[in-house]
Amino acid sequence: MLVLFETAAGYAIFKVLDESKLQQVDSLYKEFETPEKANKVVKLKHFEKFNDTTEALAAATALVEGKIGKSLKKVLKKVVAKEAHEELAVSDAKLGGVIKDKMELSCVHSSAVAELMRCIRSQMESLISGLPPKEMSAMSLGLAHSLSRYKLKFSPDKVDTMIVQAISLLDDLDKELNNYIMRCREWYGWHFPELGKVVVDNLAYCKTVLKIGDRTNVATTDLSEILPEEVEAEVKLAAEISMGTEVSEQDIANIRHLCDQVIEISDYRAQLYDYLKNRMMAIAPNLTVMVGELVGARLISHAGSLLNLAKHPASTVQILGAEKALFRALKTRKDTPKYGLIYHASLVGQTTAKNKGKISRMLAAKASLAIRYDALGEDTNAEMGAENRAKLEARLRQLEDRGIRRVSGSGKAVARADKYQHKSEVKMYDPSGDSTIPSTSKKRKFEEVEQQEAAEEPATPATKPKKPKKEPGVEEETPETSEAPKKKKKKKDKKAAAEEGEEPAEELKEEEEEVAVMETSEKKKKKKKKKEEDDE
Amino acid sequence: MSCVLGFSPRGDRGGRGGGRGGGRGGFGDRGGRGGFGDRGGRGGFRGGRGESTTKVQRTASRKWGICFLPGVFICRGKEDALVTKNMVVGESVYGEKRMSVEEGDTKIEYRAWNPFRSKLAAAILGGVDQIHIKPGTKVMYLGAASGTTVSHVSDIVGPDGLVYAVEFSHRSGRDLLNVAKKRTNIIPIIEDARHPHKYRMLVGMVDVIFADVAQPDQTRIVALNAHNFLKNGGHFVISIKANCIDSTAAPEAVFASEVKKMSAENMKPQEQLTLEPYERDHAVVVGIYRPPPKQKK
Repeated sequence: MLVLFETAAGYAIFKVLDESKLQQVDSLYKEFETPEKANKVVKLKHFEKFNDTTEALAAATALVEGKIGKSLKKVLKKVVAKEAHEELAVSDAKLGGVIKDKMELSCVHSSAVAELMRCIRSQMESLISGLPPKEMSAMSLGLAHSLSRYKLKFSPDKVDTMIVQAISLLDDLDKELNNYIMRCREWYGWHFPELGKVVVDNLAYCKTVLKIGDRTNVATTDLSEILPEEVEAEVKLAAEISMGTEVSEQDIANIRHLCDQVIEISDYRAQLYDYLKNRMMAIAPNLTVMVGELVGARLISHAGSLLNLAKHPASTVQILGAEKALFRALKTRKDTPKYGLIYHASLVGQTTAKNKGKISRMLAAKASLAIRYDALGEDTNAEMGAENRAKLEARLRQLEDRGIRRVSGSGKAVARADKYQHKSEVKMYDPSGDSTIPSTSKKRKFEEVEQQEAAEEPATPATKPKKPKKEPGVEEETPETSEAPKKKKKKKDKKAAAEEGEEPAEELKEEEEEVAVMETSEKKKKKKKKKEEDDE
Repeated sequence: MSCVLGFSPRGDRGGRGGGRGGGRGGFGDRGGRGGFGDRGGRGGFRGGRGESTTKVQRTASRKWGICFLPGVFICRGKEDALVTKNMVVGESVYGEKRMSVEEGDTKIEYRAWNPFRSKLAAAILGGVDQIHIKPGTKVMYLGAASGTTVSHVSDIVGPDGLVYAVEFSHRSGRDLLNVAKKRTNIIPIIEDARHPHKYRMLVGMVDVIFADVAQPDQTRIVALNAHNFLKNGGHFVISIKANCIDSTAAPEAVFASEVKKMSAENMKPQEQLTLEPYERDHAVVVGIYRPPPKQKK
């Protein structure tokens, strides 16, 4: 009888040497107590090792489903070729049936077989020679992990550890780059200090230094690809009159090495940023659409993982990154911060300072929905993020308009703005004030009034022809320049009332708002009017 | 230092066993015991064993006590805690507290083991005699969930032991996989424990089966796994939730019927205790599978 025994390292076929022992099931374990005894009962006929983990994984999945995998087929064919008459003992009755159908091998499974399997398993290391136990355990560990990942549909491009590491590396690189650039500037500045002031851009500085080396070479080198023309000219000029000291070739060589490093790191940083953008779009597309790659990556990195971030409520997402301020405010019972890392999102950046708090809250709420969708949802498209962003932008526009809404009343009516009327600001000289000869009488003649009205119409169409006005443009000016339309009307009313000799109470109240600013001009107007009336 | 005393030689343990039994008798029955109040009693044992320790060790061990189970330690301080030695230094698996201890020039880190979250910790604190999980053991853990208790078992068995963690749920399986990534002595198996033949390719023979599956047919599940993978004379530790097996019957009746089922499957129960202050209507049964026949002299 043959025995089919599956292990993580491969398939083993044993031959039972002494079948009578199988009859006493209960004492079978005694035969397997030591490796020597075990070797007397069964012998390893053939061991089919798995070539690599993919083959092992395929075999394992076939085993779980109770089917015959490729490697098993291969093994069985070999067996059939040699000993077709033998029975094959298997651990799984279902598998036995399938083998019987496909390969015409008679299979057996019983409690005796199960006991036999147990015993073989207990002496696995000694029976399968040529397989050190360390290798077996390593293979079973690797196989278990691959099988579990296969079951959980693990996908390597959905790993958010990459994001966390990439953003930390980006920050590290920035720090290092800054250090190196400062060092380079300082070091080379010993030789050619003016270059540091002329060339402001760091990368251009390093490239320039790399190209010129010693400042005596400046005149002969062509810096047109690195610097714009004026700057190049300035550099050449500064090189002539530089007050730096001379340095040796070795020193220049070292500085050049440093510049090489800086340029390399800058290039790598740009590459890393691209990589980060790609990964963010792959892992959390909705979050990326809503807040941008950098802010999204920082949020994920701060929370530890995308799943952790999804577990936080929206209020936490809003102030993630401002923990110091938050707890300080909570302890001293002051106002808590309104935004954390989310402050750097473009949506929050483009609003006015007043609305940043509101937008940050709204953005955090929608963003946390997007995060949950990315972390726990099944499909990976960015529709939801785009929709939410559109909604937020519409809300943002509404917020900005709200400043022009009526504050009092029901708040539904939009503040009415008067239609723009052009007021002529042409001053007409009024000669009536020149004459010192007293005028004949106060009362104006009817013809005079009509004439005046006719003259007035083209000059000041806006003025209400409530009553005849002598002064066309002068008095209109002062209210126009400073008032809101409402006040202007009121003032006109006031003027009218004043001339009629009345001063209704409401208008007085309006006037009180304006305080001293208008008082003087009012008084002036009144005075002028009085004067005119007196004159007449 | 203090930790050395934890791995006391077998003979010493046998000698202490008598003292332990006496001490326990003094405290009354297990169910009635409070939580950490017992620590005082165990401290008394340390005093008793003190004749083998030097004075320096004893004062040093006032902060770090030793549990009589190898691999499990007690931390004394403001609040006493059950701890295990962290295999992955610097990392918390489920947000538990970690504490570092200087030993000469090496730092050893321990992780706190919460008895309210882990049935095994509750059993240890409840006073179970033996859990059979010691350094170098091969353990099969049925019902591994997110790997919180599995990580502590992995700490106890150390790098020479193995923990086969079986969990069927995919959500918990993901967390389990993450825990197993860091600890190489955990072998994660995302399969139904009811069909041990499905994962026969990954598992060798084990010394202990720990089951916390909370299923009505859990005894049958453990028996199936034991027939396949548990060595002769191996032990099993099963956590029984009375509500889960039969919510209408009295808990004691449920425990008794489970014990009877176990005996029928050649699994001989040796100890039973309730997890009283930490869980309600829960019990842990420890036993031996296929005990070696008694040698008649």
